[in-house]
Formats: sequence, C-alpha cells, structure tokens
Amino acid sequence: MTIEWYESVGTREWLKRTVSFLNISVMILSVMLIFSEYRFGWGEQVLGRFLAAINQTRPEKGAVWELGRDTLTAHETVSQLIDRKSDTKAFAHRADSFSGIVQHLLPGEWVTLDKSHFKDLYRTLPLTHARQILEPARLIWLLNGDVTDRIFCEGLKNGIKIYFINTGNRVIHQIELTQDTLTAITEKKYLKPGTLETFDEFSGRIYPVNRFFDAVFKLPAEMIPDLLPDTDLLLDQEGVISRVGIWNEAEDGFIRLGFEFRHQTGIRVLFVNAREWTVWQLGLILKGAHS
Amino acid sequence: MKGILSIWRAARLVFFTGLMLVCAGIFLVTLLILYTASDLPRLPEDLSRIIETPQSLVYNASGQVVLRLGERESVPLNRVSPDFINAIVATEDHRFFQHHGINKLRTAKALYVTLFEPGRVEGASTITQQLAKNLFFSFEQSFSRKFRELLVSFQIEVTHSKAEILEVYINQIHFGAGAQGIEKAADTFFGKSARDLTLSEAALLAGLPKSPSAYNPFRHMDRALKRRQLVLQRMKDTGYISEDQAALAASDIPEFNREKKDARSGSYFLDALVKSLIDVYGENVVYNGGIRVYATLDPRLQDLAKLSLRQGLDQLDQEMGISGEKPSRPQGALVAIEPATGAVRAMVGGRDYFESEFNRATHARRQAGSGFKPFVYYAAFEKGGLHPGTLMTDQSVTIPVTGAPDWQPRNFERRFQGNMVLKTALTRSVNTIAAQLVQLTGPDAVIDTARRCGINSPMQDVFSIALGTADVTPLEMTAAFSVFANSGIRHDPFLFWRVEDAFGRVLFEHIVQDQPVLDPAIAYQVVDMMKAVVDTGSGQRVRDHGFTRSCAGKTGTSNNFMDAWFTGFTPTLCTSVWVGFDRRDPLQDKNGAGITGGRGAAPIWARFMQQALADEPERNFPVPRDIRFEKIDPDTGCPMDSRDSRPGIIVAVKRGQVLCGETVR
Repeated sequence: MTIEWYESVGTREWLKRTVSFLNISVMILSVMLIFSEYRFGWGEQVLGRFLAAINQTRPEKGAVWELGRDTLTAHETVSQLIDRKSDTKAFAHRADSFSGIVQHLLPGEWVTLDKSHFKDLYRTLPLTHARQILEPARLIWLLNGDVTDRIFCEGLKNGIKIYFINTGNRVIHQIELTQDTLTAITEKKYLKPGTLETFDEFSGRIYPVNRFFDAVFKLPAEMIPDLLPDTDLLLDQEGVISRVGIWNEAEDGFIRLGFEFRHQTGIRVLFVNAREWTVWQLGLILKGAHS
Repeated sequence: MKGILSIWRAARLVFFTGLMLVCAGIFLVTLLILYTASDLPRLPEDLSRIIETPQSLVYNASGQVVLRLGERESVPLNRVSPDFINAIVATEDHRFFQHHGINKLRTAKALYVTLFEPGRVEGASTITQQLAKNLFFSFEQSFSRKFRELLVSFQIEVTHSKAEILEVYINQIHFGAGAQGIEKAADTFFGKSARDLTLSEAALLAGLPKSPSAYNPFRHMDRALKRRQLVLQRMKDTGYISEDQAALAASDIPEFNREKKDARSGSYFLDALVKSLIDVYGENVVYNGGIRVYATLDPRLQDLAKLSLRQGLDQLDQEMGISGEKPSRPQGALVAIEPATGAVRAMVGGRDYFESEFNRATHARRQAGSGFKPFVYYAAFEKGGLHPGTLMTDQSVTIPVTGAPDWQPRNFERRFQGNMVLKTALTRSVNTIAAQLVQLTGPDAVIDTARRCGINSPMQDVFSIALGTADVTPLEMTAAFSVFANSGIRHDPFLFWRVEDAFGRVLFEHIVQDQPVLDPAIAYQVVDMMKAVVDTGSGQRVRDHGFTRSCAGKTGTSNNFMDAWFTGFTPTLCTSVWVGFDRRDPLQDKNGAGITGGRGAAPIWARFMQQALADEPERNFPVPRDIRFEKIDPDTGCPMDSRDSRPGIIVAVKRGQVLCGETVR
C-alpha cells in the first residue's frame, strides 16, 4: 500500500523510518567523523598537509621574513662597504703614481699603503717636487727609522692626505697632495713654452747661462745641491740652455729658477725649485759680478 | 504516543537540518581556506634557523663583550631547565603534546564566551598558534587574523615535531624588560643561563609572557610572585610537580640580577656609542649587520665612575637633607677622557640609568660658571699679551652694553680685594678681573678659544661669557680641558677605535691626529694657574680628599647654585663632573647655603681620580722650553729675590714677557 506524503503515518511507520538503514548509517558516520576528528585531529592534519604542499607558492611576508630581509640588506650594505674598500685598496696597490690614487679615492675613503709602495710612488716624482712634498731625510726617518707602523691614505675633495701612523694609531707625520699639485707635476707644468720674458716674475733677474753658472761655481760646493737639487730634470731636457731667470718671490722656503732651453722644436722654460737661502747667496754673487 | 512522535519528528528534522548546515559550513570553510591559503605567509624550511640572526658585538678596552645588538640567541631544548619547559607547557598549553595545533574544547569555549558574553574575551591559543602569530602576524585582534594564524599553526604542526615547535617558541617569546627568548630572559632577570634556572625561577619566568609589562618583576614584584603562584598551581594540577615541590618553590624569593634591571644597555656610554654608530652606518647595519665594534671604554674606570658619582650624589643628598624617596634628587654626570688621544674612557650620564636614560654627559647643556675662566685667561694671554704675573685690580667694574643696561659683575664673596696678579685672580676665581679681561679681548676672542678647544655648543657674543654663562655639556668641558692637559694639542673625543665586519675586515679605524690649537707655552701658563686652583684655591677640596698627585682644574658654580662643576686633569686623564637638578633648582644644603662646584663636584672628581690612577706612576706636566718660573710679589707683580724670605708666588712666564718692567730671559 502506498502512503502519500501528505497522509498521516502511524507510530510503526515512524519507528521504521527512524531506525532505517540510511538514518542509522548517517548518524553513525556523523558521530564517527566527529569523534575521530576530535580524537585524531585528521582535519587539522589534512589542512596542514594541503598548506605544506602549496607552501612554495605563497608569499614571503610577515615579521620573520621582514627581519630576514633587514638582515640581508644589512649584510649587503656591509659587504658593499667592504667591497668598495677592497676595490680601492686593489687599485691603490696597482697605482704607479699619486695621481692614480687621487683619482680613485673619494673624499672620506681611505686605504693603507705599503712602505715600499709609498717609496716607489715618491720616486716617481721629480726630486725637486718630491722634496717640496716630503724632505728625503724625513722620508728616511719615517720609513727606515722604525717609527711608522702603517701609511694611511685618505681621500679629500681635491686630493689626498697621507698619514704616517705609529703602532699606537697616532699620526706622526702627514702630508697633503692636492690634485692641482699633482696635475702640475704629471702634466709637466714645470715645463712651459716660450722665453723667460714670457713671465713677468723673472723681470730684471734674467742672466746669460755662462754668467749664471760662473756665479754658481763661486758658491761653496756643499751649497750647489741645494741650488740645483734635481739635476736629472735638467740633464734630461733636449736643447741648449741659453739663459736662466730667478723668480721674484719665495714660496715655502723655495724660489723658482727658470732655465730657457733652445731646441729645434722651439724655446721653452724649465722651472726648478731652489732653496731660498742659496738663491739669495747666488743673487749676491750675480749682482757683484754684474756691477 | 502522538507526543513522542512529534518529538521524534522534530529531532529528526533538527538532526538533518544540522547535518545540512554542517555540510554547508564545511563547504564554505573549504572555500574560505582555498581563498585564504594562497595569501598565507610562506613557512621557512627550518624554523629554528630564523631565530639566529648575527649579532653586532661591542667590546670594551679589555676585550670583553659589553653589548650585543640585535641579539637573538637560540638555545636547544636540552640546554633549558626542564622545570621551565614544564612550567611553560602547563601554563600556556597543557595539552600541547596531544593536539595538532588547536585545542578544540578551549577554542569552542572561548568562542562562546567571546560571542555570547559581551565585554569578555577569552583566549585559547595553543603554543603553536602563539608561535604562528609571533612569527608571521601582527597583533591586530580580528577573526580574520585568528583564522589565518590557525591555518599556519596546522601547517607548522605537520611539518615540525613538537620538540622543534617548543624550541622555537621558547627562543622567541617576549619576557618583558627587552628580553626575547629564554636564554636572554634568564640572563636579564637572574644573570644565569637558561639551563641553570631553578623551579622557582622557571615558574616566575613562565608566568611573564602573558603580560610582560604587568608582571615585570623589576617593577611589580608582588604581581610577578602572584603569577608565579598560579604557574606552580598549574604545574601541580597537570602533574609536573608535587604539592610539596610547589609549596617549596612558592616560598622561595628569587634573587634578581641587580646589574641589569632590564635588557637595555644599562650604560650611558654604550647608548652614546650606539647612537654614533647609527649616525655613521644606519640602524639596520648596527642591529642586523653583525659588526664588531672596539670601544674605548675602560671597564675599571667606568665602574669607578659610576660608584664615585653615586656615592658623591648620595653624600650630597645627605647634606641637602633629601631622603631616598623624594622624586626630585640632584643628578650628575662624569666624563673621563685620555688627553693624549681623545679616547673617552668612562662616561656616566646620571645617577641611575634605569631611573633616567637621559644622558647628561652628552646632552645636558648647563652653564659652566667659573669653569669657563681658563678660556678667558688664555684669550687674554694670547690676544692681550698678559701673563700670570700681570697685576690687575679687583674693583667695581661697569661694562657698557649696547642696547642693554650696563653690566656690573660681582664677586662670589661680594667684596673687592684690590691689586692682585692674574694667577691669584684665577685661583680665587675673581669675577671682576675676568670681566676686565673679556673687556680687553672682546667676547669673540674667548669664544674663539673655547671653539678651538672643542666647545661646539652655541655661545653668545656677550661680556658675561667671562663668567661662564654659556651652556655646555660635561663631554665638551672634558674635551676642552684635555687640550690644556695636552700642551695645546686637541684631540676630538671618540668612543670607538675600530669597526669590523663579522669576518674581521676593517670598516673603520680611528687614527689619532694631533691638532695644535693653542700655544703650548700659554696653555702651560693656564695649567700652572689651574694647579694653584687645586692647591690653594676653590678646588682645594680635591686635596682635602687625599688626592696628592700633580693636577690642575677649575671649579664652576652657575647663578643661584643651579650647577656645580669641577673639571680637572692630570697629564694622563681629564675628568669633568657636573651635579645639579634637571629642573634647574638651586643646590642648597640643609641650612640654606648654596653648594658650589668645589663642594658638590670636586669630591666626586677626587674620589674617582684617586682610584682611577692608583696603579699609575705619578707624572708631572711637561714644561715647554720657553717657560721660566719666577717668584714674584703677589701684591706688586714684581720679581723677588730668591733669598727674600717674604711669601711670594711662583708664576710661569714665557721668555720675553715683562715682569714689572723687567724682561724675562
């Protein structure tokens, strides 16, 4: 007999329906699911494994990743500082002149120079200019006198500063080399085209070569090296010296002498720095000879 | 029967409706998970590795590590006291070893309370959830954040063992007072390693993560102990300890690390050092770059400085009748510098760092008072051609000031002493003579001298600068007096010698560069006068306290006794001491008498220097070649015959200077 859905059913029918296989199965399954999940936590594990499976596709964000990034950035910054120093150091060690160092040392940067390397760089300078930068006697004391532990070279806005440092990190001597000074040396600004008359500062102090050297040889022999400290520079020039001029002002204890060279390529003046007091002595002789 | 049928019908309806709802819920949650999962933070392969960030280390002059910056030291579980592990598990998540990331019953209960009991919020986070939150999420309170945190904790549970999770957790939780991780916490609070924690200490620490500030034992001991009681109770309830053990631990009052009070540097010197490092390298490099910094700090001198200042200030409290509980007590600062290099060997910026981190040594600009007079005398000697034997008159002085009333300086003693030589004038700190000197040279000459010596604070171009109306810091005063101690050669103060990266490669190295800023002979003349200040003048307290070495110095007291200074030096160490109220109240003793630099600061200086130099041989100040010592009549300034038995004073004069018409040879 078919019972329509709108018809009322009896108790027996209700009981039959309640304990039907489907009902009982659904209930048992539901209860089992709930209790097994409570007992074994398989839901969490399934979720956890799913998340672990897609872990690599997810973004690196959150406090711990930010800290990691900060750490990485910090290390990169430190590495960059170190690399920059290493590069500067490598370049400085390869440099064959002070100008080379100046070009690659930014203001505030510094590099350590070996004593022997400094000596080599110093020797690249014409003696007359080298003397102005650092007296050879002082150099010997600094490099061979067991006083210098390290030589620091610091970049400036327009040049470099070189510090001679003892074992106590104390500066025992320092020199400053400006770009202008070094350019003057490297571009051979001590050699200028033209005659002595080109320079007003020689006016009234220009002497024929023979008169000049006659006067030189009247000086005490020990005085001559101070008058002509860099003979190599003069000997290396091509041409003949025709006249010599004396500059009209002193600078840092030196007075410039101008040697006028005549050569088929032209006339030029070579500047040499001579000790002020020897030039003064020479001047007396020249004036005496003249009178 | 019908009734039973109705109930059955209803029950069946409810069950199936519920089942449908649950199914729908599961479906929705699945969708939500799929939607959320792609945006969840990625977990690093190895959770334990993330704790280990390289720390930047600061070494003192003895080579000991005195500060670790950005430190996150991770310790394995086997190096942590089992009592602590039990305590934290019992307190934070007693079912930690059973669940898979969530404690369902507690969560359900917490959800019910949060949803149906307005105003109440109950937490149910497991250790894994807390770990997920700390590692990846903000502390924003929202269901969304909670849900995401829950998902991440599920992943942590399936990819890591319980031991690994616990290890990471205890190494990154915050215990307050700046301590992160159990090793740091054990060190901060008890000055020991995590493995050595007793049950009582472990229980106390385990109670802190719930609210590190509220339970900070340094500030709220009672609350911390109550919280510990709760932890012990939880440990007993969960079977980790017996009732007897709980009772025994509860009766124990732990001994705290008195040196620390919290994980801050605890040192004014180190704060100043870190600030200067940050200025150069930036915060990120300093805290995360793993750099090594070699500080100039001498640990022995630093300890002595702290002790001397504290004792001196306590003594001052007594003299002023101030009890320990009074909120406003005088403060102080002490800076010690090595004149030969400029290295700062000790710096204390207040009576107690943990009460006030404000570093008065570097930041408190206070009137120097008569402590500024050495610059005035130097300027007068250099610009005015005067010398210590020059005769002047202590008399009423009126200096016209453009656009302001005339300036009429008065002496401390409110009386005039007539003729005297300049050495005596400085020794007695005579204001009218200092005023006459600044009138002679102009204030700009005094400012120029102070600037050359390293005073960088703003200074007004006014005559009263002669009496020290300029505001300066103790660090500046120490550095500036160091120039006198060092024969006129200036070395700017510095706090570290070298900075290296983690592999020992040098990033920075301080080189000591002499800057001759003062004439050595004139500087010596001022030093000789300052020696007399200590021997017979306003700084005599130094001798009264038993400091017998050759030293020079100058006291300083500002208007209304608001600042008391003593800055002095030996050839090897220059120290400045300042005391005063932060609020610029006058320093007065119980009887209402003002406290001067000689009374308030000089004893602290003497106590410090006495011990600081105890192991060093005594040295005298080097005398420049062109300095001659002449015995002169203090009333006339004229040379006295060496056989003359009348009391005279010895002054240092330069060759070529004229004494009473006679040129010194």
